[in-house]
Amino acid sequence: MHTFSVYLRLIHGLVRSQMQYRVSFVMDLIATTFYTVVEFASLVLILTRIRTLGSWSIPEITLLYGLAELSFALMDLVFAGFDPAIFGAFIRQGSLDQLMLRPVSLTAQVMGSDFGLRRLGKCLMGLGILLYGVWASGIDWTPEKALFLVLVLVGMVLFFAGLFMIGSTITFWTVDSVEAMNLLTYGGRAMIQYPMSIYQDWLRRIFTFVVPAIFLNYYPVLYLLNKPDPFGMPTWIHWLSPVVGSGTFLLAVLFWRYGIRHYQSTGT
Amino acid sequence: MTVFWEIMVRAYQRQITYRAAAIAGLTTNLFFGFIKAAMVVAFYQNTSSLSGMDEKAAVTYTVVTQALLGFLSIFGTFDLMRTIYRGEVATDLLKPISFFGLWMARDFGQSVAQLVLRGSVILLVYGLFMDMDFPSSLMQWVCTIVSLLLGWTVWFTVRFLVNLTAFWSPDARGIARLCYAVTMFLSGLLMPLRLYPEWVQEFAAWTPFPYVLNTPMEVYTGVISGMDLLPALALQVLWLVVLLLLTQVIWNQASRRLMVLGG
Repeated sequence: MHTFSVYLRLIHGLVRSQMQYRVSFVMDLIATTFYTVVEFASLVLILTRIRTLGSWSIPEITLLYGLAELSFALMDLVFAGFDPAIFGAFIRQGSLDQLMLRPVSLTAQVMGSDFGLRRLGKCLMGLGILLYGVWASGIDWTPEKALFLVLVLVGMVLFFAGLFMIGSTITFWTVDSVEAMNLLTYGGRAMIQYPMSIYQDWLRRIFTFVVPAIFLNYYPVLYLLNKPDPFGMPTWIHWLSPVVGSGTFLLAVLFWRYGIRHYQSTGT
Repeated sequence: MTVFWEIMVRAYQRQITYRAAAIAGLTTNLFFGFIKAAMVVAFYQNTSSLSGMDEKAAVTYTVVTQALLGFLSIFGTFDLMRTIYRGEVATDLLKPISFFGLWMARDFGQSVAQLVLRGSVILLVYGLFMDMDFPSSLMQWVCTIVSLLLGWTVWFTVRFLVNLTAFWSPDARGIARLCYAVTMFLSGLLMPLRLYPEWVQEFAAWTPFPYVLNTPMEVYTGVISGMDLLPALALQVLWLVVLLLLTQVIWNQASRRLMVLGG
């Protein structure tokens, strides 16, 4: 609980400082959100022309896209400090050593070190896209499905947070930021925004067996929509989503702890 | 001209020292190219042609674009802006070359390095693993290169203008990010413009952005060929002239402002 209050206080300070320059903040918020808007608009504009993507309608794609977008945006809002690119710079400058001297949770300090309220814009966009998908895709809602949707969302947030933490921990040894992790995080997000059936086999295998991202979003949405599975996996497979998410996060936390214990400063 | 050359070579050398970063960036570009190519293929499941562009041309367009990302700095640059905020711009003005020329030389040096280090490798990998088009004649190759250079210069001028807003606004970063997001869409970076509804294409044509990437790529893939080549290139030249004139006017204003503030 102590860790949590440290994190909240840190965020509070950062938010206050960001609100000092209102115009700059609004400008930043709009610009950050705009990338999401533009990317999504690009997809929708093409879809309005070709109507369906494989066997997926526009609202169905929107549901898939919104889930990926919202979960990544939420994760990025809360865990931005663990973004390997940002954390890598942190280590190179020796800033981590300063944090270690303070008698409060290191994890909370790192987590909140790059909190930007402007990312709220992405979250709201993601939420909007998801809500439209939920509303328009004609899901037969049951209490079970509603609970499931929340679990899937939480699972994905944890999954991406786990990838961020693993990436950051690797930085302890390599010092330079690991772009390979960006492939999994940003690349993974881009990939799960669309139906897995459009990808070539080798790409899909990587995201099934190496990084099990296929279970996060694709299978849950198939279940929500009662769509048939083109790859013939067993029917309980959609329940793996929260498991994969929380499992990845747990492993990441353990790895992160291990990393901290073995951290040696660059001496800068 | 020798000064221009020197600055360009320096910028090139600085780029090639960061090999690890280049390799990492390259892998990312390659990966996203595969994802986008898969999407393009999916778009063409129920149709053979969209606004006169077939599947093979669209896939080629998408992957070659990945090879050109670094060359065109299509995600935007903030370097010039930074020197304005730090006041370093004052030293740049002492150099025996025009301010525009100085930044153009720096930028072009970087771009060539990106093309050699990243672009060529990406093109090679896609060439090996994917079925893609190449310009069919010498004429088409020449036009592609000319169009690409024009596109580079148009985009450099836009970025120069965007960076100059730092003289007037403390929020130039936000303005720049907005402009670059619009460019991602209207230049045909996200997807070839011909895949969008007609009205989007018509709207885009009235902005300078399609002439940065979309035109060179349509020339490369042969979507524009024969008699259509000349008007396409002429439009690029027209936009370039307009933007250069605008730059002249705005730079005059900006440099006067710099005198007042004293750097």
